[in-house]
Amino acid sequence: MTLYSAIKVVIITEKMIAKGICNIIEQEGASGYTIMAAGGKGSHGVRNISDRAAVIDDFSDVRIEVIVTDKERAKSIMKKVAEAYFNEYAGITYLDEVEVLRLSKF
Amino acid sequence: MEFIVDFLTRLLMQFQTPTLAFLIGGMLIAAVGSNLKIPNAVYQFIVFFLLMKIGLKGGIEIREANFNEMFLPALFSIIVGISIVIAGTLVFSLLSSVKREDGIATAGLFGAVSASSLAAAMVLLEEESIHFEAWVPALYPFMDIPALILAIVLANLHRQRQEGSGKKEIKVWPIVKDSLQGSALSALLLGIVLGLFAKPESILHSFYEPMFRGFLSVLMLVMGMEAYARLAELRRVAHWFAVYAFFAPIIHGLFAFGLGYLAHVWVGFSAGGVILFSVIAASNSDISGPPTLRAGIPSANPSSYIGSSTSIGTPVAIVICIPLFIALGQQVFSV
Repeated sequence: MTLYSAIKVVIITEKMIAKGICNIIEQEGASGYTIMAAGGKGSHGVRNISDRAAVIDDFSDVRIEVIVTDKERAKSIMKKVAEAYFNEYAGITYLDEVEVLRLSKF
Repeated sequence: MEFIVDFLTRLLMQFQTPTLAFLIGGMLIAAVGSNLKIPNAVYQFIVFFLLMKIGLKGGIEIREANFNEMFLPALFSIIVGISIVIAGTLVFSLLSSVKREDGIATAGLFGAVSASSLAAAMVLLEEESIHFEAWVPALYPFMDIPALILAIVLANLHRQRQEGSGKKEIKVWPIVKDSLQGSALSALLLGIVLGLFAKPESILHSFYEPMFRGFLSVLMLVMGMEAYARLAELRRVAHWFAVYAFFAPIIHGLFAFGLGYLAHVWVGFSAGGVILFSVIAASNSDISGPPTLRAGIPSANPSSYIGSSTSIGTPVAIVICIPLFIALGQQVFSV
């Protein structure tokens, strides 16, 4: 079994702007992404992931992961997302080196 | 003097009604740190249910309504929504400690309308057997949407002036679309359309009407718990927001009561209609307004406007304004 190295970009941010971020990811040519509910603590205080009724569901957080094959594309996604949203919305982004099985999926 | 005594007795009695009791109960149970949870899905369903019932009933009645009667209250709704945002923006601009965008966003939220306050007012009016036209709740979007649009436009104009950047066009249609697509308004409008064009009387009487009050009590519990939970956020922003959130609903409601009285004299707007119209004006958006504002005025701090609205504005609108305007209506119109 051969594994190929790839780059995973992780973006943890507000659910409201997830759609816009996914647009950027697609414009950058990534073939897919994963979105999941996120919560925790940061400079904007504690964000819950409990299923307790929140009057405003759109203000919860998400974690978006996208895997690309080259680092330049990964950096470009991070830069564009940060420029477009992180002045006004809560968010962090980092990248990780990963190994994937079927390179053609990315 | 008699009016004050009458009002205070009424206020005390209102606290015992399930609507207010559940709201206060929700705050208490959150304050003692209880782990009681109402799942988010249940809450979302209840919002849909309540607005569907209000919409169905309104739609059925609009079939027979005279459009001339509805025109003036609808026009007044737009005027109230716009005036609240202008007045609020002016008030906050006098306070140097308040960031301009935060003030505009808060004024926008208070000009917008809360579905939960509206539903609570309808139940309390029914309990007092005060009649109102079933189309009055349909005034909701006429006040809500202009207020949100104006707030977003004002905030963007302010920003352009500050940055000195060239005129960027503000697109109004996406804001309208965003508001109409929000969960609360979608359910209300769908209900109205179904009431107008279908014959939903049987499910209205067998399902929506019998369960309305019960579901409202659960919604009130959620609102109470959320109000307490958001107080911590409000403490982090300027205290002026708390002062505004307390007085603004009362002043907005009184202003609308005056306009409603004119409509009563001119086109025979019912006493219950005037009261409900005042509560719509007093209420401040808690479900669909905040995401629209967050998207339209991203530079404003959400803690300021959501804290003001959810933890002070909505409880004031429900606990103080509804009994106040019912008492006032009973005095003025002797119903």
